Amino acid sequence: MTSAPLAKPHTKEREVQLTSQDEVIIQATDIVKTYDTGKVKVEALRGVSLTIERGEMVAIMGPSGCGKTTLLNCLSGLDVVDSGRVLVDGADVNRLSDNRKTEYRARHMGFVFQFYNLLPVLSAIENVELPLLVSGTSARRAREKALAALDTVHLRDWASHKPGELSGGQRQRVTIARALVNDPAIVWGDEPTGDLDSTNANEIMDLLCDLNEKHDQTFVLVTHALEVAERTGRIIKMQDGQITSDHRIIDREAGIWGPAVQTEAG
Amino acid sequence: MENLFGIPMNSIMLVLLALLGVSLSVVGYVVLRNRVMFLIGLRNIPRRMAQTTLIVIGLMLSTLIISAAFTTGDTVQNSISSQILTTLGHVDEEVLLRSQNGGGGAANPNGSFSETLAEEFEAALVDDPNIDGVLPILFEVVPVINPGTGLSSPGANIVGVDPNKLAAFPDFVSTSGDAVQVADLAEDEVYVNESLADEAGIQPGDVIEVFVQNRPEKFTVVDVVEDRVTTGVFDFEQTEGLVTSLETVQRVLGREGEVNVIAISNSGGVRDGVELTDAVVASVKRVIAEEGLDLDVEPFKQDGVEDAEEAGSFMATFFLIFGLFSIAAGMLLILMIFVMLAAERKSELGMTRAIGTKRGQLVQIFLSEGMAYNLAAAAVGAALGILISFGMTQIMARIFSEFDLNIQPTITLRTIVISYSLGVVLTFITVTFSSWRVSKLNIVRAIRDIPEPPGGRMGWRSLAAALAAIALGVLLFVTGMANDSMFPFALGSSMILLGAAIVLRFFRLPDRPVFTTMGLFLLLLWGLTVGNRLDFLFGELEGGPEMFFLSGVAMVAASTFVLIYNADIILAVLSRIGARFGRILPAMKTAVAYPLANKFRTGMTMAMMSLIVFALVMMSAMNLNFNRFALNDEARGGWDVLVEENANNPLGGDLVAALEAQGSVDTSQFRSVGRLSLPGRFTFPEIRQHPEDDFDDYFVSGVSPGFVDGADIALEARATGFDSDQAVWQQIQDREDVALIDAFVLDAFGPNFGPSFSLDGIPEGADVFDSVTIEVRDPVSGNTREEVRIIGVISFASSSAFFGVYIPERTFADVFGEAGSSQYYVGLESPGDAVGVAEEIESALTTSGAQASSIKKNIDDEQAFFRNFFRLMQGFMGLGLFVGIAAVGVISFRSVVERRQQIGMLRAIGYTRGTVALSFILESTFVAALGVLSGVGLAIWLSYFLMTSDEFPTSDSAYAIPWFQIAIISAFAFFASLLMTIVPSRQAASVPIAEALRYE
Repeated sequence: MTSAPLAKPHTKEREVQLTSQDEVIIQATDIVKTYDTGKVKVEALRGVSLTIERGEMVAIMGPSGCGKTTLLNCLSGLDVVDSGRVLVDGADVNRLSDNRKTEYRARHMGFVFQFYNLLPVLSAIENVELPLLVSGTSARRAREKALAALDTVHLRDWASHKPGELSGGQRQRVTIARALVNDPAIVWGDEPTGDLDSTNANEIMDLLCDLNEKHDQTFVLVTHALEVAERTGRIIKMQDGQITSDHRIIDREAGIWGPAVQTEAG
Repeated sequence: MENLFGIPMNSIMLVLLALLGVSLSVVGYVVLRNRVMFLIGLRNIPRRMAQTTLIVIGLMLSTLIISAAFTTGDTVQNSISSQILTTLGHVDEEVLLRSQNGGGGAANPNGSFSETLAEEFEAALVDDPNIDGVLPILFEVVPVINPGTGLSSPGANIVGVDPNKLAAFPDFVSTSGDAVQVADLAEDEVYVNESLADEAGIQPGDVIEVFVQNRPEKFTVVDVVEDRVTTGVFDFEQTEGLVTSLETVQRVLGREGEVNVIAISNSGGVRDGVELTDAVVASVKRVIAEEGLDLDVEPFKQDGVEDAEEAGSFMATFFLIFGLFSIAAGMLLILMIFVMLAAERKSELGMTRAIGTKRGQLVQIFLSEGMAYNLAAAAVGAALGILISFGMTQIMARIFSEFDLNIQPTITLRTIVISYSLGVVLTFITVTFSSWRVSKLNIVRAIRDIPEPPGGRMGWRSLAAALAAIALGVLLFVTGMANDSMFPFALGSSMILLGAAIVLRFFRLPDRPVFTTMGLFLLLLWGLTVGNRLDFLFGELEGGPEMFFLSGVAMVAASTFVLIYNADIILAVLSRIGARFGRILPAMKTAVAYPLANKFRTGMTMAMMSLIVFALVMMSAMNLNFNRFALNDEARGGWDVLVEENANNPLGGDLVAALEAQGSVDTSQFRSVGRLSLPGRFTFPEIRQHPEDDFDDYFVSGVSPGFVDGADIALEARATGFDSDQAVWQQIQDREDVALIDAFVLDAFGPNFGPSFSLDGIPEGADVFDSVTIEVRDPVSGNTREEVRIIGVISFASSSAFFGVYIPERTFADVFGEAGSSQYYVGLESPGDAVGVAEEIESALTTSGAQASSIKKNIDDEQAFFRNFFRLMQGFMGLGLFVGIAAVGVISFRSVVERRQQIGMLRAIGYTRGTVALSFILESTFVAALGVLSGVGLAIWLSYFLMTSDEFPTSDSAYAIPWFQIAIISAFAFFASLLMTIVPSRQAASVPIAEALRYE
């Protein structure tokens, strides 16, 4: 995985590499991230290392301010690390130009945020088709795929409604449809159920788990909620910018979890 | 400047100062009673310095425009009155011979009267303490040649004054600043004034020739003196003159013992003497009556100073009216700025309300902040307005250069106070309204920063207000109809429509059909009020020039409603277009979606842009079409060169013979020559249509057969029975009791245009009419010709060059006697040679003092004058564009802050920096383009309806659209808006994604 799969993502060769069956899709090594507010410096990530395999559904947990969202942002290329290395599908995201990273996100990543982050001025279907349009898909094809994605989240009938006309659960499903519309290799979720009641939260998790199972996509979710985390296959816990534990499910029905990887901290 | 819209400026200042006091008292109340609210308001100011700067700029624009208009008025007034005072010197009143019938003319055609009469007059006033001098004068226009340089002046005023009566008139000052004495002059010596010295290259010591009755008289120039009325400056156009003793001028003119004017100097100086004018005029009138003198007095200086004041008021009013569009746009900008400030602080405001702040206190917070901006912005605006007006007056000085007006930038304390107070008060009102509007927030939604739910049910209060609006509208409508008045009619109709729309909304009819229908009806209504297009439905309704502004504002508002409520159709079209450009599509989708989602903000920005573009394009269209119909080639009437005879050196009624006698002009290049006879210099012909009417002064000319043969002057309308224009002209040659008249007497011609005399009985826009008769009178002799039949109206295009009543030459002779002077019109085989031929003619007739000019060049000069003045107006109105551009900037900066999180999300899902920036730029482009298109479209509509209406003589096919100017105006508005978006779009593009996603 030392090739540079993101260097030329638009070539056929690159597409083949991206869809290869390599086991590890994300590899972070000793990443450090510090926020400098001018008056104080906050060490959000203090030498975090982890590996995520293709098709895994991972939950990152921890108290507020422990660095879990920062970790997600750094892994997904939304933020840049101060030191360390993040390989996504074999490419060092910190060495990519902004445009390359952006293009990769548009083609191969999906995002689900706590507050939906839909554009209020666009209808559901227009929100969903945006990632396709920015990656150059034709308008007609984008519309077809967006409708299909809304179908997947059972919102086809609400396609022409604007976010303001949808419930919280429906909005989050639109966000999920938007995250999935480009068949991403990785879906990132930052508190995807954080703004929902338990019924809606369960429905969303059912949907995510189902998609993970059916499409073998990698899901990395940041969450506070243990019941959400327990629906995934792996739970990484963080505190003070470091990973304190990392467990995979061994027997879901029995609720047995075992260590995933021995981290430096853990 | 003493009056504005007829209201004394001092009264305006006092009212505004009172209102300023009220505004400041409100803030003072907040400071004393709710200091915390005041401090919260003030502490918001330094939060975002860039935004604060933009707000101050936005707030100052209205004051700037007001200040510029007023200062321009002051400068024009002061420049003209200074020039008048300087030129008149110590002459305050003039006494002329009274006409036999009390009209405007003189009993003697050349206006002369005996020195004895002057002496009687002087003796009767000798004890009047308000008068310190009386000066009998004889003057005439004569050609002057300087053989030394070969240069000449075809028309200089030679002035003769009694050297023994000059003690009270110390106005003879050499250009070197020394006082000179007329008494020192020998009978062959003169002083020439500065203008004549410049024109004919005269130096002290030169010998010049003055021609009277084609006879040269030699004079030695003793010195060059400053331009004064007593040295020959009788108006701004004819400033050349020379002065010597009265006796000498009487001898030269062959009018021994005669004078034609008596100048009076009031006690006091040049300026303060004016204050005694009323007393002196009353005293002089009493003396004239008591002594039975055949004289009349005119308050020359007072009239001039009043004219200057009127000119100043006219300029200020003119600029203010045309600046109204910008001021209106500026107030919209203020409203929008405060609504956006409130939007930015929505959560804070919600929290403030949640912890117990009342709505009124919220208003106080905003008011305190707004007034702090306001007080600073108005000061900056007033100062910048003054600077801009100085720039404008310099341009005006160039435009009016032919009048030799010396522009002196002037600021008065009163103007500063009025501009500042008006700016502060207007902003205070707008800020108060905005603050009240933003204080109406839902606390929970504000704290959570949730948008207001769309289309909420309207309350009963709104219904009551709508019904009240309808009732008031009906009242206004009926009043308008009853008084045939356009404004109440249109306003009432609009209120009915608006009220009806609100009522329909109350009953939950959807927004789009309701507001679209209302907007379209309003557009039609206001669009049709111009040019009386609604006459067929509601009869003839009268409207003043204010209808131009009101129609513009109403149409822009209506068009904004229609566009905003139907912009999704535009979105669909643009999306389809965008789909063809692949990667632009996502940027275009968001670029169009955001403005459409925020109707208030987009509508306001569009309206601002539209208002200004509308005003500018309207101005261009009016200018172009006015020039096309009034100053086109048809105006020449088929002639190429105009030769104006000097009354003191007549050409004997035959221009060709006079030229052939000189031998230097090849008259074979003349295709035709015509002559118009004019009355004497002191004769002001009079006409009236009905016996019960008073006579009006009007131009009357006698038409020679040669003029009829050579002219090609089209007619606007012909009397019944004539099948061609030529047949009408032929009657002028064949009969005595017929006349032609210019088109300006048709009272339908435009708002407030045309002379005081108007002709009844010729319907608007008619090609054929039943002939009407007028009466023509010579006020000097009292000769009258009744029943002169008007058989043709000269075309509008030719009316500016051929103005007045045209009667057959022999009829003219019957009424006015021998012509005072003649004008000769020459048609050339090669019209392109007109300028050269005019120069040749003038040169050949130098000793006669005849003035020749190319008619086409005269028209071109006139066209250039109007064009330049229109451009100055456009430049002034263009200041308003900065309002629109500032609005686009304010919105763009605000949008970046507001959408920070959404920008982060867009970047997360794959928008590149370029796409984000492009989206912002396209968004501004979309709003600016809609505003520009709306403004251009409405201006073309309104100008077309106005210029092709019966009030203006442009036919449908002749109407022209000023495409070039539209392109320039649109491009400037458009690209300046884009420029304003570049910085915020770059800010948007560089938003850090992870940070933005956390942003709340």
